[in-house]
Amino acid sequence: MKWLKISLIPLVLSAQFAFAEVAVIVHPSNAAAIDQAEITRLFTGRGATFASGSKATPINQAESAAVRGDFDSKVLGKSSSQMKAYWSKLVFTGKGTPPKEVADDAAVKAAVAADATAIGYIDASKVDGTVKVIGKF
Amino acid sequence: MRYTHLALVVAAAIAAGQAQAEVSLNGFASVKAGTTFGSDDTLYGYTSDVDFKPESLFAIQAQSDLGDKFSVTAQLMAKGSEDFNSKFAWAFLSYQASEHVRINAGRIRVPFYKYSDFLDVGYAYDWARTPRSVYDVPFDTMDGASALISNSFGDWQSSVQLNFGAFNGSVNVEGIKSPSKMQNIMGGSWELSNDWFSTRVAYFKADVSIQSDALDPLLGALNQYGFASVAKEIDFDEDSGSFVGVGFGIDKNDWIVNSEWTRVEIDHSFMAQRDSWFFSVGHRFGAWTPYISHEVNRDKADPTIYAAIPGVHPLRPLVAGLVDGQEDNTKVYNVGFRYDFHPSAAFKAELTNADNTIADQKTTLLTFGVDLVF
Repeated sequence: MKWLKISLIPLVLSAQFAFAEVAVIVHPSNAAAIDQAEITRLFTGRGATFASGSKATPINQAESAAVRGDFDSKVLGKSSSQMKAYWSKLVFTGKGTPPKEVADDAAVKAAVAADATAIGYIDASKVDGTVKVIGKF
Repeated sequence: MRYTHLALVVAAAIAAGQAQAEVSLNGFASVKAGTTFGSDDTLYGYTSDVDFKPESLFAIQAQSDLGDKFSVTAQLMAKGSEDFNSKFAWAFLSYQASEHVRINAGRIRVPFYKYSDFLDVGYAYDWARTPRSVYDVPFDTMDGASALISNSFGDWQSSVQLNFGAFNGSVNVEGIKSPSKMQNIMGGSWELSNDWFSTRVAYFKADVSIQSDALDPLLGALNQYGFASVAKEIDFDEDSGSFVGVGFGIDKNDWIVNSEWTRVEIDHSFMAQRDSWFFSVGHRFGAWTPYISHEVNRDKADPTIYAAIPGVHPLRPLVAGLVDGQEDNTKVYNVGFRYDFHPSAAFKAELTNADNTIADQKTTLLTFGVDLVF
């Protein structure tokens, strides 16, 4: 059954290629424990503070960014269209404002590195020492 | 029109806010067309000729953070059903009193129904329109104040909205736009939700006055022939009206279920009890969301209103016709789909069959179009 093992390798490779991991990042000084439910709370506007009580500033990526769709589906459990419908319910009733959006991974990383209250997400392969990873999805 | 002034003040506040704070501009639009199948059939403003006007609309919303927990929001809307004349759908000042309490004052939506707040934002729901049999209170905004109290308990979110205000504007009485006043609108809604389930209750009351050209000749005749007490049971003269609504929604494993039930009553008027409900089920298949829904409207007539008029009196059949004509039992079936063909736009098509069992009249309507947000 040697052929079977060989055929598995490209499958695994292609799976990694197609589904890049999303790394949720905060400022290196942020010591708060943040799980997926907490991230969802912050990115859906249902909470504005970390569990520690300090202010949280979620930073979203633009709809055109590749990682946005992955974050919406893997972390928030919704499609980007569903998230848009969700926010339009809050925006057009004056009940909420969606997180600020920036253009890409580099912009998120720069914003998070510069702001102790920030929380964002980037392609896991783009992580470096300027930010702290709190979870990969 | 002092409420127009109010809107202008809010608009001016937004412009002033611009100097120091960011103004966020958002918008939404619906472009819809529909046609009925029978040559003389009409439904929701549509006829047997394809028409874009009844439900197409464009809206722009400006919101500005004024600092110190104050913000202003104004929404300008142009509806096809009103010849695209733009007007302020709402304009209000918000004060975030605490993390959990927000006070709004100005022209605001009355949260009668689950989808009241974003009734016009078609993109926010899957249907081509909110269920008309249920969503039929003839006014949807008021001028006044509301308090929004939001709390979380574990996985549950609670949202209470308390409203107080008044509405001045025209409502539809027997097909004629009639000036009306809803005073002392008071009440609130409470919504409790978690990730996949939500439930809500709403209760409102108001003093209802409507000046109706359709009713005036009849009311005049009743008063002249000594039936003033009957006239009082027909007209809307600061009569107490009440609204009760309950509903629930499920959004789990791509199944979407929604249901609401409402009862509207206006004491001492020819409009007796109006009950309505709907039930809707949909399923998400990626970008496609097909759904079916069923709506029922059951209006009662109150013949005791004209019991005081002798059977042989010439006014009796007129009054009986008006009062008994309130009886309605309409069943509506909808089947349709939403297709998210673009990140900010959805295409929708819906086939509606309305069956008025009292008039024995069946009407079929096809609606299709695009809802977008920008």
